[in-house]
Amino acid sequence: MPRGQKSKLRARAKRRQARSETKGLGGAQATAAEEENSPSSASPLLGDRSQNLPTAGTRSTPKSPQRAAGVSCADSNEGANSQNEESSDESYCEDPLNEKVVLLVEFLLRKYQAKEPITKADMLKSVIKNKKYQFPEILKRASEHMELAFGIDLKEVDPIRHCYTFVNKLDLTADDMVIDEENTPKTGLLMIVLAVIFKKGNCATEEEVWKVLNLMGVYAGKKHSIYGEPKKVLTQELVQMKYLEYRQVPNSDPPRYEFLWGPRARVETSKMKVLEFLAKVHDTTPSAFPSCYEEAMKDEEERARARIEARAHSSAMASARAKAKPSSSSCPK
Amino acid sequence: MQCSTRRMGIMTDVHRRFLQLLMTHGVLEEQAVKRLQKHCYKVHDRNAAVEKLEDFINNINSVLESLYIEVKKGVTEDDGRPVYALVNLATTSISKMASDFAENELDLFRKALELIIDSESGFASSTNILNLVDQLKGKKMRKKEAEQVLQKFVQNKWLIEKEGEFTLHSRAILEMEQYIRETYPDSVKMCNICHSLLIQGQSCETCGIRMHLPCVAKYFQSNSEPRCPHCNDYWPHEIPEIFNPEKEREAGISTSNKKSLRSRQH
Repeated sequence: MPRGQKSKLRARAKRRQARSETKGLGGAQATAAEEENSPSSASPLLGDRSQNLPTAGTRSTPKSPQRAAGVSCADSNEGANSQNEESSDESYCEDPLNEKVVLLVEFLLRKYQAKEPITKADMLKSVIKNKKYQFPEILKRASEHMELAFGIDLKEVDPIRHCYTFVNKLDLTADDMVIDEENTPKTGLLMIVLAVIFKKGNCATEEEVWKVLNLMGVYAGKKHSIYGEPKKVLTQELVQMKYLEYRQVPNSDPPRYEFLWGPRARVETSKMKVLEFLAKVHDTTPSAFPSCYEEAMKDEEERARARIEARAHSSAMASARAKAKPSSSSCPK
Repeated sequence: MQCSTRRMGIMTDVHRRFLQLLMTHGVLEEQAVKRLQKHCYKVHDRNAAVEKLEDFINNINSVLESLYIEVKKGVTEDDGRPVYALVNLATTSISKMASDFAENELDLFRKALELIIDSESGFASSTNILNLVDQLKGKKMRKKEAEQVLQKFVQNKWLIEKEGEFTLHSRAILEMEQYIRETYPDSVKMCNICHSLLIQGQSCETCGIRMHLPCVAKYFQSNSEPRCPHCNDYWPHEIPEIFNPEKEREAGISTSNKKSLRSRQH
């Protein structure tokens, strides 16, 4: 391959910096809205989202006459000295790929946040589309971006069905989540609700939760001196803070609702901790709830295993990267 | 790909943890962002001096630039609190919400968004939104369900509810400003002072120009006779106070519950 990937990107970046005053992007893919404050064509919502990044061809024309000519890779590369950014025109062979890389990174980030697994088919359909044959290259670059910028690894778990999952190289713990709230006394209420949910098989109907809370003198609609208005706390605040999930019972008519543990609860506490809380409330020990205890023990084992795997994976990646470094650095040819 | 060596942008685990956590929260107030930054330093680089937030974020943004992603700073429309969100600039749509919502739910959001943009106050009533339930794309949704979906939007910080009316959360404004300006170029309102998207604000009764409440506060600060910057007519509205984080902190100790409730809005 002529002129290495990295030096091309770096050169483009330097050019971009020199050219644009704002954070706007000077490359062919620059959304004009950024720099000139003129919106690109009104993009249809959602259905067509992967086409919203302007393609190299269309966008470059208004910006600089040099680029209007479709430049072939080889010519501009060989002609251009890798040091000379000003005059030479850059190859746009990679740019259409770069567009896909950017869109794939956005796609992957969304999947990561939604905690959904990803398949190759998914990626081809939603992002890659007509660039099917360049999928491996696009995926490789997108993964590198994810790792570099976010510390998130994309791992292929099923090479036959091409299923991927994310591994977080950063070990997120409970400490990480407690950022934006001061300690509120709602923790007590939360622990009770988490315990009810756990006891009811990891999903409790709203009625079941209120039954328990009523026993403690906490009623929906009745302002509590410590907890505030409990229904609002449970169905809005704690859900917004991602401690609880509140959803409609599927196919319920009239609609009924149920609670589940939210993702933050799963990070900040554990089934065992909640069981210990429950045991204390009942003045007994966790083993007094045999089925819950068994489940909590299994949960502890899984967590330990996941931590070990994550650490092993990240150290393997680190050593692989260390080995690969010399050969992967760009050499201008 | 050694993008990190370009210019000044160097990403370390401090920055990566910061990004991951900011992403998880969707949007964070400035005080929380500062705490987050300190926390990330504590985890990875105890002895390093905590970089000034603005520089820290510029550093991150320089690395994210090639991905069309940026940590964007905004200001809440009602009380001028600085907020930050990780924003994707590549696609101008509401695709950020796509993974959390079904087709008909997204369409409900679009309908609510349109009502909010068209409204004079920046708020759309629950009733008006729910009346559009029959026009939604995708699976049929009943009003009761739609009420819950609206609550889901509030929980995920896309909408704010006040007394049965809905407006855009600062998160939505940060993430979708571009999309909104492109999709509703005729009905979208802009602030005369900061020239960005305006959903809630004050308007001059004579010439119609609009200003964000925090922009009004800053512009008319210590001006006993506020006049419209455009037509010079007397400005008929109450001038709000500028948001002062110091005052907040002092007041916050005795009314911690109230404060955390408010801060949770954004």
